Amino acid sequence: MAEKCPACGSCGMPLEKPEDYALGDATRPYCRYCTDARGELLSYEQVLETNARFYVESQGVTPAAASAMARAMLADMPAWRGRN
Amino acid sequence: MVTRDRLVNAAMELFASKGIANTTTADVAKSVRMSHGTVFLHFPTRDDLVIAVIDEFGRRLAAEFRQAFEQDLGLRAVLQAHLRVLAQIEPFYARLVTEAPLLPPKVRSTLMLLHAAVSYELFVALERERKAGRARKIERPLLFNTWIGLVHHYLVNRDVFATGNSVIAEQGDILVNHFMALVKS
Repeated sequence: MAEKCPACGSCGMPLEKPEDYALGDATRPYCRYCTDARGELLSYEQVLETNARFYVESQGVTPAAASAMARAMLADMPAWRGRN
Repeated sequence: MVTRDRLVNAAMELFASKGIANTTTADVAKSVRMSHGTVFLHFPTRDDLVIAVIDEFGRRLAAEFRQAFEQDLGLRAVLQAHLRVLAQIEPFYARLVTEAPLLPPKVRSTLMLLHAAVSYELFVALERERKAGRARKIERPLLFNTWIGLVHHYLVNRDVFATGNSVIAEQGDILVNHFMALVKS
């Protein structure tokens, strides 16, 4: 069984290659999609929107369903845990 | 095999035979003769176990897709890679898609995130075929939903579509050929 690779602390995306990380820096905890040009973590709303869009574009689910699914996925992530 | 892997494998088998909603972490503990506390240490809830099995499925898929993509093997190879991994976990996966609408949001979202990854691979492969003049244009959600709808229908009803244990082994080639004919330009 494959070893679990590191994952983004914000969205859970597997971090397999250096370019997957913020600023291409493998010591950083978040992926390039959850961070801005300076490597800083985006706001919860921005990350939620990006993740929700992923469900809409891939499978055509409604924006409300996509948002609910993205919310469920982010709820346990280290960056967003404990958020109401 | 390390404890975590033993638990994931045992859970996958129990989910397949008893159903996901019908299996408890205590059942998993019993089947591998470990204490409930040991299971709890690795997987506090059943959902954590279901997600671990889905994640394992995702890792296998990613490895298969990477190979098909890097070698530019085409859409047919991507469909075959998808079915190859599904066949490895077929009884579990059939249960998963049968119970999916009733499963907790986190589990369902995890499965649909995996679908998103498959959708991406199919679309990239289709676009390559299209540029080579071998496929027609199809919007990404419908491309994926047409494929997954077909595959899931056979999986959910595998008892009537297969004479043996694997509907993918018996019908997989027919489904791939049919889908390739549908997308042809």
